[in-house]
Amino acid sequence: MSATDWNDRICTLGPFEPAPGDGFIVCRCVEITQGDVRRAVHDGMFTLHEVRRLLRCGMGLCQGQICGRLVRGIVAKELGVSPTALEEVTARAPMRPVEMRVFGSEEAGA
Amino acid sequence: MSHYDMIVVGAGPAGLSAAVQAASHGLRVAVFDENARPGGQLFKQIHKFFGSKEHMAKTRGFNIGTALLQEARDTGVTVVLDAVAVGLYPNREVVVRAGGAVRHYKADAVVVAAGASENTVAFEGWTLPGVMGAGAAQTMMNINRVRPGKRVLMLGSGNVGLVVGFQLLQAGCELVAVADAAPRIGGYGVHAAKLARCGVPFYLSHTILRAEGTGRVTGVVISELDAQWRPKSGSEKHFDADTICLAVGLSPMNQLLRMAGCAVRENGDVLCYPFGETSVSGIYAAGDAAGIEEASSAMIGGRLAAIGAAHRLGYLDAQTLAAEQARLEGMLQSLRQGMFAPQNRGKAAQSTDEGCPLSSSLLGQGYLRDDEIANYPGCKQAKGVHPVIECTQNIPCNPCQDVCPKGCIRVGANIVALPVVDKTATCTGCGLCVAACPGQAVFLVDEDAEPGFALVTLPYEFLPIPKAGDKGTALGRGGQPVCPAEVVRCKSASAYDRTSLLTIRVPKEMGMRARFWKGGAA
Amino acid sequence: MNNTADVIIIGAGVIGSATAYYLTRKGHSVIVLEKSPFLGDGGSSRNGGGVRQSGRDPRELPLAMYGVKHLWPGLSEELGMDVEYCQSGNLRLGKTEEHLAILRGLTDRAAACGLGVSMIDAAQARTICPYLSEEVIGASWCPTDGHANPMLVTLAYYRKARANGARFITGQRVQAIQKVRGQARRVVCGDETFEGDTIVLAAGYGSRAIAAGLGIDLPMNTLLMEVLVTEEQPPMFSQMLGTAMADFYGHQSKHGSFVFGGSSGFEAHNRDDGRPVNHSITAPCICRGVMGYFPALAGTKIVRTWAGWLDEMADHIPAIGPVAEVPGLLVGCGFSGHGFGIAPAVGTVLADLAAGDTPPLEVSAFRYDRFKAKL
Repeated sequence: MSATDWNDRICTLGPFEPAPGDGFIVCRCVEITQGDVRRAVHDGMFTLHEVRRLLRCGMGLCQGQICGRLVRGIVAKELGVSPTALEEVTARAPMRPVEMRVFGSEEAGA
Repeated sequence: MSHYDMIVVGAGPAGLSAAVQAASHGLRVAVFDENARPGGQLFKQIHKFFGSKEHMAKTRGFNIGTALLQEARDTGVTVVLDAVAVGLYPNREVVVRAGGAVRHYKADAVVVAAGASENTVAFEGWTLPGVMGAGAAQTMMNINRVRPGKRVLMLGSGNVGLVVGFQLLQAGCELVAVADAAPRIGGYGVHAAKLARCGVPFYLSHTILRAEGTGRVTGVVISELDAQWRPKSGSEKHFDADTICLAVGLSPMNQLLRMAGCAVRENGDVLCYPFGETSVSGIYAAGDAAGIEEASSAMIGGRLAAIGAAHRLGYLDAQTLAAEQARLEGMLQSLRQGMFAPQNRGKAAQSTDEGCPLSSSLLGQGYLRDDEIANYPGCKQAKGVHPVIECTQNIPCNPCQDVCPKGCIRVGANIVALPVVDKTATCTGCGLCVAACPGQAVFLVDEDAEPGFALVTLPYEFLPIPKAGDKGTALGRGGQPVCPAEVVRCKSASAYDRTSLLTIRVPKEMGMRARFWKGGAA
Repeated sequence: MNNTADVIIIGAGVIGSATAYYLTRKGHSVIVLEKSPFLGDGGSSRNGGGVRQSGRDPRELPLAMYGVKHLWPGLSEELGMDVEYCQSGNLRLGKTEEHLAILRGLTDRAAACGLGVSMIDAAQARTICPYLSEEVIGASWCPTDGHANPMLVTLAYYRKARANGARFITGQRVQAIQKVRGQARRVVCGDETFEGDTIVLAAGYGSRAIAAGLGIDLPMNTLLMEVLVTEEQPPMFSQMLGTAMADFYGHQSKHGSFVFGGSSGFEAHNRDDGRPVNHSITAPCICRGVMGYFPALAGTKIVRTWAGWLDEMADHIPAIGPVAEVPGLLVGCGFSGHGFGIAPAVGTVLADLAAGDTPPLEVSAFRYDRFKAKL
């Protein structure tokens, strides 16, 4: 069986069926559940970028450090692909949250 | 804008190694670390490292950290702590948050050695307080001196789970179980055996169904998995526990590298060329940030990055580079062998390189069955005191060979070979091998010491240290009581580096069965 | 797979997706081709979310006002997804008399076009938003402006259009539009060719190269703009905010994060490595800009920064509508950093034009060939 080309968004996963574990929170920062992620995939969000943009999972204080792998695993399972087949998400500064007061004061390096 | 020849992000084993190596070639080096203390994970590694002498084997992690820090001072490396590298911007610019401001730095080479973060798994209740990464528990215990809980369940039987599990026991926690979804224990058998002889049960092909409790963890339910990794109904097991440690793998902290545009491989790790150079010129990755391994290889990786950068910047001629590269890559190669080597991950070996069968009991329950011991070349009957080396997997390690002053133990040039006890050599019972073994897998057995009795000397790393005359119980490899046992002596010496050598007297027939000791009656 | 549809849309950004949705609502078949593997990966997901009328070029104002009046208020309901549209006004702040002069000019021009926008004094401004710095001496105020979540709007249009039968294909880079018997018809992507009675070119800056293949030049450049996002905070103010000097702009989103855009002043000259990269001096500059007007936010933490290209047309307003030399081709590009707020209106217009219906607004001001020499 050839792999589905998920780029052609005419592909469908069929209707969303609830599953055990849908209530588990996967993204703690934004409080997104496994069911939220699965539903998004069923809604046509076939990439991590789209799932993140839709749900904001991975875009809170931890920037996906905790949930990144979990979300990747859920999306991959729904699409029937390997987690590594999904794209890398963008890494963005700051690597740790920084107060505006601090980011706004620039000092010469020592 | 301040400028350095090399900026290193992360003052752990890889970063510090890169820094001192580069500085030794004349580079001006700065290291930034977000923590208040340098050393990365080294200072919570209270166990002895594997490898050979060149890898600082049998040295405890924190001592390696101390040595590296001294080396950094000696070579003039600038180590800046409480300094978060918030971004790696175009033109090798590192923006660092330190105190109440951000500072801009540039360097001709940037080494990102930011380490790894712990993976997690989602199950019902996993967000309850009391569920934590095994590494977090280790930090609590060994850095902050706080016991993470009283009764702990460990999920994950890789080396992190096994090592931290043992440290939890050392800290006085009860380890109610080690569970793993895989059908075989993932870490070194010697690490598992340390737990098993303390009575810790292993549950393979099991996962956590749920953490119980409102407000915090009060219990945990695990379940067996079928071949499709689905929980088998009816196989649930409940444990009272206040802590659940997750040791389910690590992920590289390569965000700075990806921000800088470094290409990634299909598995998500940053693509590294020789010397750890990434696809972005002048930017290097080292240690776990480049790909998950362990501290010994991370230190070599850091040094490789440093020599690559030193050559690129004209501090190291091609000839010296080649020689150093060969030396360091040789060191790396000697670690990357055996059944736990990266290239052998996921392969379920059936026998050792020597052809000895692997113990299914060790892989399934965490200990060798008594009748399997004779299968291995380190376990031979002999007259008088002699070492019994219960090292049955090909792991890169040879301190037992190095420390024996009498040549009783031979591993050979290939350090993943099983140690062989030479019956013709004369063991003096000095115990250096017992203390040196990072896996605590070497015992001295003397079945001829006293009529009807055997003396067993075992490595002991618990407090309080037993005293001669203490009465107690000898435990077998699986943690089961085998007989009453009295302490003959408990030796501590600086050469043992805080491992005590506990000698117990047991009935002669228990000489090859007693492997741990517990004070008091069974 | 059938590669023919009534309309082929190039670009699955907010313009292309909105156009696709409005076409499917009319019952037309649509194929949307997107070069990125991800939907809305250009300026559509990378913008400040402003749904502004104030501060617009007078030529754009009718589109903005039409959208605010007829499309935005019911959009969440229509698309079946909360796109976080919040209509609670736009404050444009000034600290000096020069600032106020700039704001007065903008306000007068917009008011002349029929927009309800006025100058207010510092006290009035602080009544609307109590967190303003003491240095603010006045503002312009347009109570019907607002903001929405750009990451959601594009996906909401996509989701609904897809549910209506539109076929979106990502990772499909268009190489050329070809004419058949004088009419734009074929869209070539490597091995695949798509055919439609009408082609809508809504590919952002990428439209320039595709149009060039037909001998049409759309005079655009790219500018890399940067935005920072803070941790979530309790609701503080709901207005869209800007300043006379354009130090920054932004708003607090529904979930509590502040989203602030701004610039270092070097945007036209910044280098990039082919990706929309952040520059080290920009976020600090935006922080200083924000704190100069909202000192209360100094302790708020930034969790991420991002950058995105905007497609800047030579005169800072888009090209929208048919192309005389290429019958069957419609363009919708060059939105110059303020396309998000007018996207529903532009989608409506492009869908009408593609369907042969009369759009609610006349768009001849946006002709692709309006550019003339200065003398």
